[in-house]
Amino acid sequence: MKSNKKLEKKIIDKVYRLEAKKTAGYVLLRLFLGLFFILFVFFLSSALIDILNEQNSFDLLDFYRDDLEVIKRYFISNISDFYRELPQPLTFILLASILVVLVLTGFLIKNFNKIKNRLISLYKFYINKTK
Amino acid sequence: METSDKEIIIKIKQGEIDYFTYLVKRYSSSIYRFIGLKIKKKEDIEDLVQNTFISFYRAIDKFNEEKPVKPYLYQIVQNELKMFYRRYKPIMPLKEEIIIEEVEAEPLDDRDLVALTGMEKRILILTGEGFTNEEIAKKFKKPLNTVKSIIRRARIKLKIKNEK
Repeated sequence: MKSNKKLEKKIIDKVYRLEAKKTAGYVLLRLFLGLFFILFVFFLSSALIDILNEQNSFDLLDFYRDDLEVIKRYFISNISDFYRELPQPLTFILLASILVVLVLTGFLIKNFNKIKNRLISLYKFYINKTK
Repeated sequence: METSDKEIIIKIKQGEIDYFTYLVKRYSSSIYRFIGLKIKKKEDIEDLVQNTFISFYRAIDKFNEEKPVKPYLYQIVQNELKMFYRRYKPIMPLKEEIIIEEVEAEPLDDRDLVALTGMEKRILILTGEGFTNEEIAKKFKKPLNTVKSIIRRARIKLKIKNEK
């Protein structure tokens, strides 16, 4: 009976160790990827804004301050001009990075409860162990 | 009231891993006894019980909670036992003395070469003297593949002659 208790304890210890490794790996990888892509998006967007400022491309969007008639008349042509002035490769990379950040955030939201529960269980286990 | 296996699996899938303790407590002694019927060494039994539960834990995300846990656990036990037997299968060491029979090639007889053309004869003799195909090709100023096919043709002719 005593040896059975010992064995159960060993199994549970192993499971927790395995889970700690798995969760740590998962959380760290997601954090690293998330931070990396957020920084990447930040740098790319600031570079893109600089380029557009140098080209004075934002002037094309100034017509929004006018009345509704003017906006209606020039909306499509101004937007298409603005699109043409965008540096295409940089814009596509930026959009792809934003998409990655959104996907990662989606995964985080979806698995948030699961990860939270796992972390709480691991915390409780190791706290009880150290007592 | 006792928590059902289904509820436990759902809880574990939701990240509440402390519920795995219930499964371990519920099934470890029966699995221990089952393995104990087949293996005598206590350490091996304990290792196998541990491996069974670890394997189950690894697979728990894919496990359908509607299905019963016990048969699944026993299937893992069977696999673990198979692996255990394979690992400890008695191995017969091979004898290091390996007898190699060296078959010496018979030297070519002049009578055998009658069936061959002049070129085939000369090339085959050079091959017998240890020249490589490349060297022979250089010597006769012929492409390597031609030399190879001459040698092959000559050998076939000799073989047919010997069979007769």
